[in-house]
Amino acid sequence: MKQLIILLICCVIGFIVTFIHVGISRTGRVVSKLQQEVAVKEARNQYEQLEIARLSGPQVITSFAAQELGLVQAKPHEIFVLDAK
Amino acid sequence: MFERNSFLAPNVFTVKKRMRIVMYAMLAIALCITGRLFHLQLFRHEQYSSQAERTIYNYLAEDRLRGGIFDVNGRSLAESVRTHSCGIVKRYVKDKNATIDFLAQTLGISKNQINEQWKKHKNFFFVAKKIKPDVYMELAGVQRKALGQGMELTPEYERIHPFGQSAIDILGEANSKNVGLSGIEQMYNEEMTQDISKKRAKRSARGDIIYDRHLKDKVNVGNVYLTIDQTAQFYTERALAKAVELNHPQHAIAVVQDPHTGNILAAASYPAKDGQSLAFQFTYEPGSTFKGIVIAAAIDSGTVAPNAVVDMEHRNWEVAKGFVVRDKQHNKDYLSLAEILQLSSNIGAGKIALEIGGKTLFSYFKAFGFGSKTDINFNGESKGSVSPYSTWTKVDLATKGYGYGVAVTPIQLITAYSAIANGGELMQPHLVDRIEYTGGKVEKKAKPVKIRRVLSKETAQTMRALLQTVVEVGSGKRAQIKGYNVAGKTGTAEKLSKEGGYAKRNHVVSFCGMVPATDPQFTILIILDNPEKYAFGSTAAAPVFKEIAEPLLVMKAVAPDQLDF
Repeated sequence: MKQLIILLICCVIGFIVTFIHVGISRTGRVVSKLQQEVAVKEARNQYEQLEIARLSGPQVITSFAAQELGLVQAKPHEIFVLDAK
Repeated sequence: MFERNSFLAPNVFTVKKRMRIVMYAMLAIALCITGRLFHLQLFRHEQYSSQAERTIYNYLAEDRLRGGIFDVNGRSLAESVRTHSCGIVKRYVKDKNATIDFLAQTLGISKNQINEQWKKHKNFFFVAKKIKPDVYMELAGVQRKALGQGMELTPEYERIHPFGQSAIDILGEANSKNVGLSGIEQMYNEEMTQDISKKRAKRSARGDIIYDRHLKDKVNVGNVYLTIDQTAQFYTERALAKAVELNHPQHAIAVVQDPHTGNILAAASYPAKDGQSLAFQFTYEPGSTFKGIVIAAAIDSGTVAPNAVVDMEHRNWEVAKGFVVRDKQHNKDYLSLAEILQLSSNIGAGKIALEIGGKTLFSYFKAFGFGSKTDINFNGESKGSVSPYSTWTKVDLATKGYGYGVAVTPIQLITAYSAIANGGELMQPHLVDRIEYTGGKVEKKAKPVKIRRVLSKETAQTMRALLQTVVEVGSGKRAQIKGYNVAGKTGTAEKLSKEGGYAKRNHVVSFCGMVPATDPQFTILIILDNPEKYAFGSTAAAPVFKEIAEPLLVMKAVAPDQLDF
């Protein structure tokens, strides 16, 4: 009977350890999934940032100013440089 | 009464006995289950958890981070974005038609295209590469389902250049594994990359790839900041493209340098190929733009006074028997130094070279940096060619006076002109301003370094004044900018022919100048190699200088140096 009780205790401990491990694994998977989502969102954000960089670059701005707004680039002698002093 | 004979009596299972047997059986079952769970969780945990998380492992496998390349103001020129490629392992696909339907719909590819690939390849083929994050999420969603079996999502990187092909000849290329292949990408590969995981994969019975990973704790990649200003680069490329459209040259180069620091602000090449910047790799005989260097050497060495005049020998000068130099562009018998430059007289420059002498001229060439690499550290930089003066004949010496018999690179010539611009000091040219590591460390690369003084301040000032007259009244008129004094020199050089001698129809036209001439902020060199129609430096290259310089003066808010305009 004594042996039986020891065995039963071992089983219970085994179950507990297993369930804890399962719990950890499950949490790990959730963490991994979240990490994946973060990475994907970061990549998406990076794409957006690069698109902003492209749109705010001189190529796009210059052509937009000339074609859409009809602006003409000023000649250097037409610009007055104010002395900070 | 029967006596109970324990020996003969049949086995009778008492309730107690039965209960014990059932308990043992239950215990054995429980032990088996526990044992199996123990085995699965403690010994086979890695395999199964990897299998369960294979999408994540896919994501992290063979991960190599790569820093970006930025212009001097922090505008992104090249950055890596994590993407995926989608491949198919045919034998693991459960339902071919359903998988193809799904892939075609998700990836926006025609079914026929996938079917063709399917027929073409025995076992594995890529369906799509550089898959964007949103599409990847859709694909990853079915990975554990039957529909996703046989589908492999492998991480890779897309190197994005927000400004397209701009400065691509300098930036170079990096592949989908984040490895630099050419240009700055290759030169600074070590500083820019870090392996953050190592791939170890095996295939399970179902055909899934199970990755193992090893992550490094610290991420420390470098972002490379160039001395290039993207806005200056845009104006330079735009002007060069226009010149190419007009003249149809074989090659075209435009370089902008800050003469005070040696920093390259813009460098454009045509044709633009990944990592093949002609500004550092192209060599050519400079022709008349070299006269500026020779006359500077003559004044600085005291061989010729700035107010000296040179006899034109009736515009037919026999240097040696059988070698005659002619000036057809003027009818003067004597030319001053300013006129030699304005009219681009070969006789004048040749005679001055003879006057200086081989040894002194050679020492000036070397001091200006011709015949040796500039140490700008660009892959494939050429050192040009200046033969030792001991091998020069009288004809060699005279022809070197007007830029023949020497091979220079654009970066060498512009750096030499920058020395004239900044008061006589040869500055170390720089292309990389700094490297900023994610850990916070900043490595400054572009500290202004004076290599040596090549001209006295007075000589440099005299040269600027002489070169200014070239633009005011000489061959460089088309480089004039209203409100600003411009100094520069045109060049039109015939190219060596394959048959020997110089080809009359093949030539290189160029212009090298600085603005404002009183305190130069920019040195600009334009080279058009072998234009389709015969052109001159004065007509084809000088206007490009103006086209580049004007917006740069506005951009940097450089005040005009002319008082009355």
